[in-house]
Amino acid sequence: MAPLSVEVTETMTGKPGNWSQRLVNWARIKSPWITIFNSGGCNACDIEILACLIPRFDVERFGILAKGSPRHADILIITGPATLKQASRLRRVWEQMPEPKYVIAIGACGAEGGAYHGLYHVMDRVESVIPVDVYVAGCPPRPDEVINAVVTCLGLLAEDIAHGGKEWRQKKAIEIPDNAKTTVEVRV
Amino acid sequence: MTGPLTCDFVMEKMKEFGTVEQVRANRFRIPTTPDRLRDAVKSVQESLACDRLLTISAADNRQTFELHYHFTGQHRTIVTITIELPREMPELPTMSDMLLPAGIYERQIHDLFGIVFSGHPALKKILLNEDWPEKEYPLRKDWKPKEKTFYGGITEEGR
Repeated sequence: MAPLSVEVTETMTGKPGNWSQRLVNWARIKSPWITIFNSGGCNACDIEILACLIPRFDVERFGILAKGSPRHADILIITGPATLKQASRLRRVWEQMPEPKYVIAIGACGAEGGAYHGLYHVMDRVESVIPVDVYVAGCPPRPDEVINAVVTCLGLLAEDIAHGGKEWRQKKAIEIPDNAKTTVEVRV
Repeated sequence: MTGPLTCDFVMEKMKEFGTVEQVRANRFRIPTTPDRLRDAVKSVQESLACDRLLTISAADNRQTFELHYHFTGQHRTIVTITIELPREMPELPTMSDMLLPAGIYERQIHDLFGIVFSGHPALKKILLNEDWPEKEYPLRKDWKPKEKTFYGGITEEGR
């Protein structure tokens, strides 16, 4: 009996891939699943996100579905700054998500600490715990801005599939060539 | 007893613990000393019919630590027992055996102010993170974060 040959394709190779992989990519863009995590915020952003889920804004018409478990989610939505106590929990939640995973930091707190900036119990930036893809300004932002962030995230996902990974948009360290280094002579 | 407590009534019942001060129409403050705290709480519970502990608030006024025990009951009058503790040795007996909800407030105060409640069954960390250093009490007025101390959170290695 011949051994089973399984064609292994990467999730985001940029190549057309086989039929099932193309189906998964299509479904991922059409219907992202989100999970919401409060890493120590004041609950205002949570209320605005919950307003997205009720019939007034109704994100399910775009296929966006809120899930309870991070293992089922594509996009992690974080509200609030990362407090010292939540930082390790936030890292653990993020590590449980399957690739490709995207992170949206909601509000001023996720970007720079906001009202909690410089306090004894916060790490100020969510970026210092996990990498963030999309920031949303506001304290708190309106629900339509949150929906816009998720849609922006889907655009990023489509571009990442086309580029074959997330590396193309990561900042590179500036390399200083050896001949550019100068020596300073001090004359007395 | 359904109506609000009157000032004369509270003064008559609590006169052995100190001068009763009427802050507002339905708020009374009774300053007392730490060693008479348990008697004062028992008296408030029995003679003033205050069966609920609202909260315990703590403050640092740079000379002493203030502790305020706020009580209320069916009469909807808030009675506050106020004590002051020395900064050098802030220690007083726990109230968690008489007032069950006091235990969790005492743990919070111990976290942030370093006040020791002797006899508390489990005086462990509740608000601060688990890797917060010992002997660091962030809500004391003279506390400043030290530069070389690690206060918890994510390290470069990622834990």
